[in-house]
Amino acid sequence: MSHYDDDNYEDGIDERRAAARMQTHLWKRLFGYALNHKRDLWLLGGCSLVPAAVETLYPLITKGVLDDIEANGADANLWRWGFYYLVCTIALSLSVGGFIAGAGKIRCYVSHDIRAEAFRNLQRLSFSFYDYRPVGWLMARMTADCERLSNILAWGFMDFIWGSALMLGISAAMLAINWQLALVTLAVLPVLYWVSLKFRRHILTSAREVRRANSRITGAYNEAIMGVHTSKAFVREDANLAEFRGLTGRMFGASVKNMTLAAAYLPIVTTLASLAIGMVLLVGGIDVYHAPLTVGTLVAFMAYVRHFFDPVETLGHWFAEMQMAQASAERVLSLVDAKPAIADSEDVRRAMAAQRHAGERRHIATDGGPARVTSIELQNVGFGYDPAQPVLKGINLEARAGETIALVGPTGGGKSTLVNIICRFYEPTVGQVLINGIDYRKRSLAWLQSNLGMVMQSAHVFSGPILENIRYGRLDATDAETVEAARIAGAHDFITALPDGYQTDVGEGGGRLSAGQKQLISFARAILADPQVLVMDEATSSVDTETERFIQQGLARVLAGRIAFIIAHRLSTVRHATRIVVVHDGEIVESGNHDELIAAQGRYAALYRQQSLREATRGWAAVEARATAMTDPALGQET
Amino acid sequence: MLAMAVTNVFMFAAPLIGKYAIDVAHSRDLAAGIPALVALIERFDAQSPHIAHLALCAAASVLLTAVGGVFLYLRGRWTAIASEAICRRLREELYRRLHHVRATFFDGADTGDLVQRCSSDVETVRVFLSADVVEMGRAILLICTMLPILFWLNVELAWLSISLMPFLVVGAYVFFSKVKRVFEITDRSEGAMTTVLQENLTGIRVVRAFGRQDYEIGRFGEKIRAFRENYYWLSRLMGWYWGIADFFALMQIGLVLIAGGFMVIDGRISVGDFFAFTTYVSMAIWPVRQLGRVLTDSGKAVVALTRIDHILMTPEEDAAPAPGGRAEGAIRIDDLHFHYDEHEPVLRGISLSIAAGETIGLVGAPGSGKSSLIRALLGLYPYQGGSVTLDGREIDGIDRKWLRRQIGVVLQEPFLYSKSVAENLRVARADAPFDHLVAAAKDAAVHDAIIGFTDGYDALVGERGVTLSGGQRQRVALARALLKDPPVLVLDDSLSAVDTGTERQILSALERRRGRHTTIVIAHRLSTVTHADRILVLDRGRLVQSGTHDALAREIGPYRRLCEIQGELDAAIEADLKTGAATG
Repeated sequence: MSHYDDDNYEDGIDERRAAARMQTHLWKRLFGYALNHKRDLWLLGGCSLVPAAVETLYPLITKGVLDDIEANGADANLWRWGFYYLVCTIALSLSVGGFIAGAGKIRCYVSHDIRAEAFRNLQRLSFSFYDYRPVGWLMARMTADCERLSNILAWGFMDFIWGSALMLGISAAMLAINWQLALVTLAVLPVLYWVSLKFRRHILTSAREVRRANSRITGAYNEAIMGVHTSKAFVREDANLAEFRGLTGRMFGASVKNMTLAAAYLPIVTTLASLAIGMVLLVGGIDVYHAPLTVGTLVAFMAYVRHFFDPVETLGHWFAEMQMAQASAERVLSLVDAKPAIADSEDVRRAMAAQRHAGERRHIATDGGPARVTSIELQNVGFGYDPAQPVLKGINLEARAGETIALVGPTGGGKSTLVNIICRFYEPTVGQVLINGIDYRKRSLAWLQSNLGMVMQSAHVFSGPILENIRYGRLDATDAETVEAARIAGAHDFITALPDGYQTDVGEGGGRLSAGQKQLISFARAILADPQVLVMDEATSSVDTETERFIQQGLARVLAGRIAFIIAHRLSTVRHATRIVVVHDGEIVESGNHDELIAAQGRYAALYRQQSLREATRGWAAVEARATAMTDPALGQET
Repeated sequence: MLAMAVTNVFMFAAPLIGKYAIDVAHSRDLAAGIPALVALIERFDAQSPHIAHLALCAAASVLLTAVGGVFLYLRGRWTAIASEAICRRLREELYRRLHHVRATFFDGADTGDLVQRCSSDVETVRVFLSADVVEMGRAILLICTMLPILFWLNVELAWLSISLMPFLVVGAYVFFSKVKRVFEITDRSEGAMTTVLQENLTGIRVVRAFGRQDYEIGRFGEKIRAFRENYYWLSRLMGWYWGIADFFALMQIGLVLIAGGFMVIDGRISVGDFFAFTTYVSMAIWPVRQLGRVLTDSGKAVVALTRIDHILMTPEEDAAPAPGGRAEGAIRIDDLHFHYDEHEPVLRGISLSIAAGETIGLVGAPGSGKSSLIRALLGLYPYQGGSVTLDGREIDGIDRKWLRRQIGVVLQEPFLYSKSVAENLRVARADAPFDHLVAAAKDAAVHDAIIGFTDGYDALVGERGVTLSGGQRQRVALARALLKDPPVLVLDDSLSAVDTGTERQILSALERRRGRHTTIVIAHRLSTVTHADRILVLDRGRLVQSGTHDALAREIGPYRRLCEIQGELDAAIEADLKTGAATG
């Protein structure tokens, strides 16, 4: 359950500023999505016109009935009017059904299209895009914002057509029947529109305050449940409740304000409308008395006045909503528009097109280059988000097929950034990365990344059965192959011990697995993928000692024949690497195999020594003797 | 309620005035006017009584609407205050209850579901109270006010005016009950879409690492298509419903219009009556049309209330007398049996005693019952057999709050509140002065990391502030426990994400505090427990070994096996360093 507080995240889009004035270009672009469904849009427009027309006709029918009675007395032919009424009603009912279904269709189709396009783009965008956008922020854009915008597009469009047509129709009818009376009524209109717009703004602003308070409350519940053991252990019950009361107080204030505003709005509109009705009654009544005006006309006018204000209110609502939603529009479009920082160059795309024509050939990748990765070389690679503070500088490193490169060094030294550059999740800001001697920017991104296998510290598993989670590494793998990969990864035992074995649903985010178990699954996934380049970033940090030892045995087999980069804190994992590279403050400070580096007595040797149990317990004078006894290699033979 | 009734009266008076005005204008006879007004006019002005009557009617109708508006506003405001106050109490009670129920309550529970009960379900109740109840009350009152007037004006036409209304209400009720299933399907497909999206975004690195973009686009495409189709299905159903409902509603007005017309011809009603009838019917028909929908919504509110009630009816932890004062910290456990699920005993008869001030290391494979032992000790979970005493007092007989004040615990997966670092530390002691915070943070080797944040101790923890690494979280939690300075300190595998160098720092700080607390350290890494006065080894819910590190390392058993694995590594290191030194 993720709750997300929009207003506390700085994304450069200020709600208040965005709502300040109407930005037509945003709406034009969004309306473009609706235009993709032209036929439905026409239908919807048509369905919106019918109610407007019928609502204009109804008072005319009433007027007809009355005038007919007045003129013809008992000879009046009311059945004719009854027939008109029936026709109008049938047309109206059909169009009501039509526009509800139509607006619903436009709404869900538009939000589908925006979502699909944004999602496609999200799959292309580079990691640098994700670095600055929390998942909660992205989720809010793709769910609530999409719904809100498509709602405006569908219903706003419909109401706009209906409202304008109705107002036009009523104005025309009123002017045609009696222009003096019509002008009296129309005089109230500007005042009403102004009031309506102002009010809607205030109501929507206070609605935002309610939403914000609400998301805080949801967050507090979330925290209360997640932290229940901690709260109990620290006897925080009363203190937490006191804080929570502050939140509910804020919610109460905001909600009451919002509802009060809404409650004040309607009476003001009806009073203004009744002012117009009063005027019609007065002016029209005098005219009736002096006889140029029929009763039917007067009644029709009063009906018109009542209906005239419905669209004003509705349109006021939509304009205010559009203004308030402009920040959402900007954000959603920013997802669609964001350009991936890393993408195939023109040349690569041309080469890929040529290759598609040439058809599939062995040993040739989709971009026409060789399919096998025989070497990866980093030449003077530097990287930094901010040039003044480089994360990596002057990195030179080469790996050939079959070699394992281990990266060690303190946290924050740049190891993960380095492997991300090798995987081309980021591109170097200085220097270049050569694959088979060619700058990887001249090769296809998809080709490189489809030959990668990556296992990360914070292993991610998808909800669903374990078997499918592992199969994610190679979608066409058979069950037997998948199980075999799990066996090599040391995951088989714990999986078969689960009640449903490989069919166990791991729950959302793998909630039913421990961190170590998730790492093993993610490791099995990479083994199944059988990649040419394997990257392991603290891949087994949460795995217990015995399982870790088991994995070590399988690992040699897994690493054979491919290029591997391994980041690990546990040095037992890295000592068999072809080459060990010590990364410190963004630079390679030592490089060589285990024996060489130990001999050099530098940072690696120091790190290694630190790992020693003896080192770990030094300083505990009281247990020094015990520790020595324990770490004595002779101990094993003694018994 | 009062405001609602008054509003209706005023809203209804306006068309009546219209009726009189029309009748007077039409018949040119003041006798058809409102008697009181006529009397008034006759007393003051004889010049043009008809026009004066009209003017007064116009003014009265504006005035009535305005006064009615004031009541409408008051109704809205009072409804808001009443419904919000109820929900506020509901929210607070839920929150309080979640803090006071037994920890066992959360075992099988799904956090998302619980949060939903506290937020969406409360919202459903709120909407029901503030909108639906009002709507229903309004529709009923409207009919109640309208009926006498209509029947007073003309009985036959009155019957005709309400003839179709029951069909509308019943039809709506039946329809919405049937469509509930479609609503649920649509909600579910939206949920499925959200889940796929969430997983894709949180796992975007995995997606990229395996080049699964197209696969993901296909998967998401399937979900959004399903959602789109379900939503469209729902829209079509709603289109049918509202189309038909509107037809009936309009036919009701049409009936009155035509039948009324005939009655005017027959002279059974006046033109003014005709006006009043058509206005009333068109006023009443729309709320009535809503009634069916509101009735179904009330079904939803009942479901929401039952879900909320489920939390509110959960028993709280029982209260027991608090001994008061500070405990010594002597713990005695005798033949302790403990399980979460009857068929899977977790602790099967553990007996041990820990003297005040002693430091105990607790080791064992995952699932051996280490954490459960701690939970039992904290009184978070009840134990099913045997006894646990603190200073000789059986813990399930003493006040849990007092008990927990005696124990400072750092949990395996430490939880930090989304507050500032300093506030998180002060959770242990609200009145702790700042230098105490710093001292505790230094002992937990996290001070340097904290002052490294832009806002230092005021840095917010969590999504809105700094994201702490696993090791930092553990150390902040440790500092919190140290600040509490409790008689019993428990570290439940709480240094696992801390690197060895830092761990050493922390252990030596703990060493300085030795004797101040009874300390229980649970760990996987042997280096964390070797210094303990005594090490206890648990295996599948039983205590299998107990003794100093020295003694246990020599005894055949699980502890020694653990030593061997780490010892082998150590031997290799030792050898390496020797050869390294020799060659280098």
